[in-house]
Amino acid sequence: MILPRFDVLVPQTVPEACAMLAKHADEGVRILAGGTDLLVDLRRPIVAQHVPRCDGCPTHPEGKVVSTIECLPSDSDPLMAPGGSLRAALEDPRHASPAYLVSLHKLKELKGIERLADGKLRVGALTTITEIERSPEVRQNWTALADGAADLGSPLVRNRGTLGGNIANARPAADTAVPTIALDGELTLHGTSGTRTVAAKDFPRGPGLSVIKPDEILTSVHFPSPLPHSDSAYYKLANRKALEISTVGVAVWLALEESNGPVKDVRVALGAVGPTPILAESVREVLEGKVPDEKMIKQAAKAAVGDARPIDDHRGAAWYRVQMVELLTARLLTTVLERIRGK
Amino acid sequence: MKRIVSLTVNGVAHEVAVEPRRTLIDLLREDLGLTGTKKGCSIGDCGACTVLMDGVATFSCLTLAIQADGCEIETVEGLAENGQLNRLQQAFVDHGAIQCGFCTPGMLMVTTELLRNNPRPEEEDIRRAISGNLCRCTGYQKIVEAIQHAAKEQI
Repeated sequence: MILPRFDVLVPQTVPEACAMLAKHADEGVRILAGGTDLLVDLRRPIVAQHVPRCDGCPTHPEGKVVSTIECLPSDSDPLMAPGGSLRAALEDPRHASPAYLVSLHKLKELKGIERLADGKLRVGALTTITEIERSPEVRQNWTALADGAADLGSPLVRNRGTLGGNIANARPAADTAVPTIALDGELTLHGTSGTRTVAAKDFPRGPGLSVIKPDEILTSVHFPSPLPHSDSAYYKLANRKALEISTVGVAVWLALEESNGPVKDVRVALGAVGPTPILAESVREVLEGKVPDEKMIKQAAKAAVGDARPIDDHRGAAWYRVQMVELLTARLLTTVLERIRGK
Repeated sequence: MKRIVSLTVNGVAHEVAVEPRRTLIDLLREDLGLTGTKKGCSIGDCGACTVLMDGVATFSCLTLAIQADGCEIETVEGLAENGQLNRLQQAFVDHGAIQCGFCTPGMLMVTTELLRNNPRPEEEDIRRAISGNLCRCTGYQKIVEAIQHAAKEQI
């Protein structure tokens, strides 16, 4: 199918790209990174045949087709309320049919994985999922991210898809966004009026919605230097091994004071069980400062369930997702704990 | 307004004037007449359109021609050596890995990438490498066997 008519702008620098976004905001402009989502989204008639409708969304009185907008959590959030800026952005026809695409493919400085002098990891937003999956550095020290990268889409999607694209799309099941939240990633956003950083957990606001401003580009993600006695893992529960979107995704990062000691810090992130990936803060309250045992891990997994806000849809029922959050959280906490103690 | 895209396809340099929305697959099939690359789903589910772009297996239906500017493209037409099927292609023929043939160009291109990066793949590596390519005829088993055979031969 032929794509709808648009013009493509090819900036040579990040400031130039931001200026293009600002200049054409009124006519509709989208950022093109890997294209594995955007160029699909622009083919609406094909997508409509393929994408099963969210027919189980509890908010709809007749159980018929509802849009993701109708699944949003709450009108009490002013940005999400009818007329609110995030909601307006998604409902804007210029979003579905932009007059311009700003293609980032010439911005080589946005590519690559680099260990910084302070021990942090910088991943450029245009780094492909395959590059992350194959990075020994990521596998060794930010394992949950390597797990998520290896599970995303198919090899062909991973070859084109980028970390920045996967995060900036703000889908609740995004296989690299969930580990990025567990690993406390920090996103750098460039705009026409400067640069700011946002914690990965604070970035998404709803399905396809985020705090990014119209003139901003996500340029890199920084991951904190790995702590001693820490490890992480991600598990994607899905119906098949490739080309699938998760029913539930769970990422766990755990740090102990010493290898058999109490929990120094823990972060559990949940995917596909809410309008955004969710940081299950209650897990930390259960485990922090304690030497974890089987009973405590079960308790922590139950706490994670309390933070999940799943819906029924074609990928799974809410009751099933809740059970899987509990099971996978407990399983991953155990796995990660054993790895740390075995080091 | 049309743009000029410069790219190399199977070792031959081309300059093509394209509309900004033109995809790489349409450039290959319609502007250059290289119809070996197949157009299946157009949304990244089937892998039939796979080409190598700077050595990386790439959906040519989800890549704009403009994004391929300055790149080296390899398509199924570039695989044969001196007018003969290469080892991998011949293995597909010999092992019955081709039935209707529609997925074959994509399968060959992802496998070409695999064998360059990993000349001795395990069966698991092969299955994973072709996991983004749909074949509705073979049930995949014969494709896996063909790739295993080609990998063995090249060593």
